[in-house]
Amino acid sequence: MFGGLREKLLVARNRLGSSIYGAAATQSPPELGLSTGKTAPAPETSKPISPLSPTFVDKVRVLITDRELIVSEKDVSDALSELEMTLLESDVAMPVSDAIISHVKISLVGKHRKIGDSVDALVVGALKSALLDVLGSGFNLADYVRTHNRPVKILFTGVNGTGKTTTVAKIGAYLKKMGFTVVIGAGDTYRAGAIEQIGVHAERIGIKIIQHQEGADPSAVLFDAVQYAVSHKIDVVLADTAGRFHTKSNLMSQLEKIKRVMKPDLVIYIDEAVAGNDAVIRAAEFEKTVGSDAVILTKADMDSRGGAAISIAHTIGKPLMFLGTGQGYDDIIPFEPEQVVEDLLGGGT
Amino acid sequence: MADSIQQMDQRELMTLQHYMKEYGQQAEIFVGQLELLENGRMEAHAAIEALEAMIVAEDAIVLHQIGGGASVKAKILEPDKVLLSIGAEVVIERSNKDAIEFLKERIIEMEASQKKVSETLDRLRGQMNEINKRLEAGYQQSVAAGQEQE
Repeated sequence: MFGGLREKLLVARNRLGSSIYGAAATQSPPELGLSTGKTAPAPETSKPISPLSPTFVDKVRVLITDRELIVSEKDVSDALSELEMTLLESDVAMPVSDAIISHVKISLVGKHRKIGDSVDALVVGALKSALLDVLGSGFNLADYVRTHNRPVKILFTGVNGTGKTTTVAKIGAYLKKMGFTVVIGAGDTYRAGAIEQIGVHAERIGIKIIQHQEGADPSAVLFDAVQYAVSHKIDVVLADTAGRFHTKSNLMSQLEKIKRVMKPDLVIYIDEAVAGNDAVIRAAEFEKTVGSDAVILTKADMDSRGGAAISIAHTIGKPLMFLGTGQGYDDIIPFEPEQVVEDLLGGGT
Repeated sequence: MADSIQQMDQRELMTLQHYMKEYGQQAEIFVGQLELLENGRMEAHAAIEALEAMIVAEDAIVLHQIGGGASVKAKILEPDKVLLSIGAEVVIERSNKDAIEFLKERIIEMEASQKKVSETLDRLRGQMNEINKRLEAGYQQSVAAGQEQE
């Protein structure tokens, strides 16, 4: 997952590190007499040269590894530009890429750094902190269900063909595994075969499904699903809906009606990670039109760039909840920003 | 009793058919993605070819397709400056050589993605074959049961 971005970030990280080393090498302190060109005043009393006097190698060691350094903006500006290109080429949205660069710059520039420990750790620390800042805090669905009145009603929205119905089934399986009872509302009454599809999923994972005929009013189906959950003390209602683009006003009105009727606790927007920046733009449009509380990105296993996953939370201001990573019901992982950043940057702090 | 066995088989057959349909739909989506990636790869190759030709072309004159099979001779004003969409809807100016390098990297990325999608598609087709075998066996079984009843 996000292998391309990981490789590019490694290059950018090394470049930043080299820039800081380079800055250290050019900022030789006067007391070492390496680059000032001035002759040090002769001592009043000459002392015998101790066998322990620092050699040139020692001086360089002090200069490179032990000395305190002030990183200037100029020192890292080229490396930061390259980092910006790396992020943009990975489809990280421009405002997000700007936020990351700005964060890294603030973390590195103008501060006294004891660079002896590890320049790499310094750079990785700055990158990690910048990425965590834009990734937000994630969304723990199990905790949400535990701490809210049951049934928790979750409405899934999104454009066509992104794997919404399969994701609803995966989340059903996930919640069931976490010990919750679940009912699925087959609210996609529009797409041919959608009711059958979610029906087969529900049967496979052993979850009750509420369904009407194809072409029925989805609001009615989902209202029934909520009623069923209330009367059977079910913990979670998962409401599937037909895929739609935000530009289709009639379908968006239908979604508004569904929201009025079933009063969802959470509206989840689903899109595919491989869509990159398009997914981010669509999520922002959906957020503006119908609102959303969290986002799920499918097909993350096929996305080498990772741009959508990095950008979406910061762009729409809503957390990323899950990443879909394959065909099986277990192929869905809760989005944990720390884990993602750790995977992208590896150890180093 | 025979009826109930037959009914159960029918239900299983129907479920298997649903699985087939669902896997078929997923396979279609992946085939679509493969096509998109292949188109992107071919486009990038064509762009590299054009960029390389622009540099060596005399007076930077190239044939520019305008659709409908028609082409015109066009003079590139600045053959070494290329406006390149690098991602995230950002377009930047790069030198001809850098643009070619960028496109070559993109091709490698797309080929890696194609490999992943192909692997998933192969897995899916393997599962579809398994279901198909079970469907076939179920069908043969129900035909045999029908003949016994006669």
